[in-house]
Amino acid sequence: MIYSLTVPAAVPGVEEIRVLEWHGEPGKVFAVGDLIVELETHKAVVEARAGQPGVLRAIKADPGEWREIGLVLALFSDSADETLPEGDGSATELVIEFDVI
Amino acid sequence: MSDNRANGTKKMFFREAIAKAVREEMTHNSRIIILGQDVGAFGGSYREFDGLFAEFGAARVRDTPVAENASIGIGAGAAALGYRPLVSITYMDFLMLGFDPLINYAAKLRYKTAGKLTAPLVVKTTAGALAQGVAHSQCIEAWLMSVPGLKVVAPSTPADAYGLMKTALRADGPVVYVDHKRLFPIPGEVPIAESLIPLGQAIVRRSGSDVTLASHGYMVRIALEAAERLDGEGLSCEVIDLRSLAPLDVVTVAKSVAKTGALVTLEEGQPTCGVGVEVAARVSEASGPVLSARVGALPAPVSSNPVFEAACVPDATRLVDAVKKLLARSPRAKELSPRWS
Repeated sequence: MIYSLTVPAAVPGVEEIRVLEWHGEPGKVFAVGDLIVELETHKAVVEARAGQPGVLRAIKADPGEWREIGLVLALFSDSADETLPEGDGSATELVIEFDVI
Repeated sequence: MSDNRANGTKKMFFREAIAKAVREEMTHNSRIIILGQDVGAFGGSYREFDGLFAEFGAARVRDTPVAENASIGIGAGAAALGYRPLVSITYMDFLMLGFDPLINYAAKLRYKTAGKLTAPLVVKTTAGALAQGVAHSQCIEAWLMSVPGLKVVAPSTPADAYGLMKTALRADGPVVYVDHKRLFPIPGEVPIAESLIPLGQAIVRRSGSDVTLASHGYMVRIALEAAERLDGEGLSCEVIDLRSLAPLDVVTVAKSVAKTGALVTLEEGQPTCGVGVEVAARVSEASGPVLSARVGALPAPVSSNPVFEAACVPDATRLVDAVKKLLARSPRAKELSPRWS
């Protein structure tokens, strides 16, 4: 199954974030609790961690790029050989946990 | 990437636009120093001075104690001696503690010394309600507008924050630069190349023909939201962002009102003796009687209770209602009112 990692509504008043750093390349297998990506708001860094196991398949926003809340940052799948959909599609949302630091 | 090379702009946070302006001006002018609580290694209460302590050192980026009167007093004195201090006062509510050095000394220095001394001081502060209660939420810009010798600016976008801060740091006399806390999460495009925005120059954010909405700071966004809603009901609003409150760009507002025939002012602070009444009075002095209404906070402190806070400060619904009520009294009422009734 394909999953999308979207920008979480982590900080009140924030409608848009900037990607700070990815913690893995496509192909990396993430376990629950692994840090996937750090996102930047006006006053905090949001750490998005895997809330379910999965394989990072495609990064849709590079460091320095901006994305609004709810937009897709990356695609994941259960196994490394599943075919990715065309475009961003309407994949199920990846379960994530986030910390605001 | 986020660089928009075609427009010569780069998208950045509000705080980054301020830091860009201050960094550039500190590089140009070694007499610019920063004073304030948490401005040093911490990088500013809103991280608007991030990196400047490391870049320019402790002699030029100085932490001060929780002592607003002393901070502004030292800033005013240093300015009289030829420095260009940027004093950060985290909340505008506590600017009150520094009114004596700011108003009695810095703003009057040029006058008192017959032009021999000036006080090129910038006091940077923040206004507005953000769930912090009665003494961390106020908008007292209008108090400052009545002080001869004092300039007051209040940007609503990162680009204006950048351009106005640069101009403030080059100005002859004291400038109070006011950010609204609710603007900080909202990024915007900022010129990559150095550029300045003159003081006393308003900007039309949205063109319209039925009513002029004049506002500043965060409330410009509320005015734009109301304009969008009224557009859906067939009313065309022209939205003016004042940007600079002293000096005030009466010409831009008067020109708009000459076209629309009606003026509604919007501010988050108290409307009594507020920015709005000053704008309306100056427009009518410039071009004759004006059909006008003012919208501001209710006559109550801004509570830390979120329900009371939201009830106190203006929102788009209150502005929409005020516009309709005003236009019902307009000579064009018969033409305009069927559009929303």
